[in-house]
Amino acid sequence: MAETRLDCLGEVCPVPLIKTQKKLGTMKVGDVLVVEIDHSCAMKNIPEWARKEGHNVEIEEVDDGEWEVYIEKTR
Amino acid sequence: MDIKKNVYYIKFLKDPWPYTVGAVILGLLNIGMLAAVGKAWGVTTPFATWAGWIYQAIGGQPEKWFYFQQKGNAAALSGSFINDLHSVSNIGIVIGALLATLLASQFKIKKIKSWKQVIGAVVGGLLMGYGARIAFGCNIGALFSGVASMSLHGWIYWVFIFAGAWIGTKILVKYLI
Repeated sequence: MAETRLDCLGEVCPVPLIKTQKKLGTMKVGDVLVVEIDHSCAMKNIPEWARKEGHNVEIEEVDDGEWEVYIEKTR
Repeated sequence: MDIKKNVYYIKFLKDPWPYTVGAVILGLLNIGMLAAVGKAWGVTTPFATWAGWIYQAIGGQPEKWFYFQQKGNAAALSGSFINDLHSVSNIGIVIGALLATLLASQFKIKKIKSWKQVIGAVVGGLLMGYGARIAFGCNIGALFSGVASMSLHGWIYWVFIFAGAWIGTKILVKYLI
């Protein structure tokens, strides 16, 4: 149950989403990926994609305009 | 009560609105814009006018160029900022976007990540600006106003910007990430 962080601060769409897709592909089922973002459109498209893939997703606003998206790989 | 927990604050100011709501509002505002200004909405034409003003300010004579001898462009160049309503609306867009970010308390000055990002942004910006001008419009002036006025050019623009975005994404994934 490893937890990996992915720093996407300062990156704009679609870079955070593509990086998340690539990173999650290398991880094992049950692992958690924490994506750090500060681009509000990534806050919409990353959870949307991850939920469609069937993963568990949670978003936390850590600061003004800064979020952490928790994705638990389920399959 | 804490305003940050108020359901209406969260619904209207904090959370992003659904795309369909944005689309409907944009459509309605476009009608209002056409009625108020009398010209189909555009964003990048004022940029050319602003550049013309800057060039005049440093001693250039853009009024002699073919582009600025066309009736509408000549009028914009010799007119003032406040009378060019699309120039004014461009400033309004920036102020509105800032206001929305501040009201959602999501304002943040982002750090520059790498030189690659800087070069990508500058080259991308120049290409978009150049493309928007030789196409006589960006995704607002050419696509949005084009489709809204039932002009074929808007639909052709749509097909090709889709193709361009597809190719751009492939390049991005292969070389830049």
